Amino acid sequence: MEQFLEQMAEILEVESVNPSDELESFDAWDSLTQLSIIALASENYDVTISALELKSAKTIEGVKKMIESKK
Amino acid sequence: MSLKFSFTNKTISGVLTVLPKRVVTFEEEMDNYNFSTAKSMKLKLAMGYNKHHIVEDGTNISEMCVFGINHLIDEGLLSKDDISAIILVTQSPEHFMPPTSNIIHGQLELGSDVICMDINQGCAGFIVGLIQAYMLLEQTAIKKVLLLNADILSRKVSKRDRNSNPLIGDAACISIVERSANTESIHAVLNVDGKGAYVLQIPAGGFKIPCTPETSIMQEDSNGNFRSLENLVMKGDDVFNFVQTEVPPMISELLEISGKTVDTIDYYLFHQPNKFMLNKLADKIGVPREKMPSNIVENFGNASGASIPTNISYNLGDRACENTYEVCFAGFGVGLTWGGIQQRLGKMKFNKIIYI
Repeated sequence: MEQFLEQMAEILEVESVNPSDELESFDAWDSLTQLSIIALASENYDVTISALELKSAKTIEGVKKMIESKK
Repeated sequence: MSLKFSFTNKTISGVLTVLPKRVVTFEEEMDNYNFSTAKSMKLKLAMGYNKHHIVEDGTNISEMCVFGINHLIDEGLLSKDDISAIILVTQSPEHFMPPTSNIIHGQLELGSDVICMDINQGCAGFIVGLIQAYMLLEQTAIKKVLLLNADILSRKVSKRDRNSNPLIGDAACISIVERSANTESIHAVLNVDGKGAYVLQIPAGGFKIPCTPETSIMQEDSNGNFRSLENLVMKGDDVFNFVQTEVPPMISELLEISGKTVDTIDYYLFHQPNKFMLNKLADKIGVPREKMPSNIVENFGNASGASIPTNISYNLGDRACENTYEVCFAGFGVGLTWGGIQQRLGKMKFNKIIYI
């Protein structure tokens, strides 16, 4: 998951992200962005996450841990 | 594991797609959504939205189907006497009672020796309907089956729901299914998961929740979309995950029983929910995108079970009258239902689009 932060930054349309950043703090945070993260998890990590689970992850680190826990 | 079917000596001899003339662009409807222009344009790009064909208020599916069938009769491409069955797959029935296929039968003034049936299916409607048509043709009494895939769900989506409105389209497709000398097997697979029945639904309007003034109240969801209980609603994330998880192994299974490989199929003619989902699916199955057309939503909208035959008419057109292709169809969605068919498609008598 070395590229995870870069992938998240690209989806969230920012230069870089920190693990502690809250998902809701990003301007790009909307249903399309959520779907893009769900697709990232499916395509790159072969993990299924729902929109509800994604929202409950709260932070970038939370998303990373959720993906890792499902692998 | 899928339920498996196989058939021989049957074919689709023609497909006619009937589309409403009225075209509505994404930009025309953008202001209805509760989102900035920038966010809407990003959605348009990601999902491949552009324009969709939408019926005028008051247009019903029987009108579209009868218009198309009469066109075939007038052009000498179909004789009324050859019609032994009308299978109408729709989620836009005109009434609870009678079946819309019977209304079509009456308008065409067909004889009494015809089977009419309405099948309530959505995105997998072409697969379910075609399997039904092939099964009927096992009976010697059946001459030709008219498979009608018709939906006008634009009338059931909220104009203020960017989750559903921009992708939906209206269409009626008429496929003629009959016997043929081709002995190569047709293989089909079908799956259902009723636990996911509410992932795509129109909650009110049936017997369980009849329409009342309360069911028509528009409410905002957590993503900023407005809809009432009478509108179509889908859980986009669940649909996406379902498609990515279930469809690739189903295609592997279908190709295995067909004795084909991913490369030996000329075209993957799939139901088209939106470009985003279809391209991700093509990547996961390992199909080059040029073999899996994804241009129906941007040009016409997604008309549920009509999207595969529209795909056949638009992307193969006359070429399917001259040549023969190895194709793989797949439909997935409402139900949840997912299925696929691998067969030859070609030397068709007609394959085109007309407008009403």
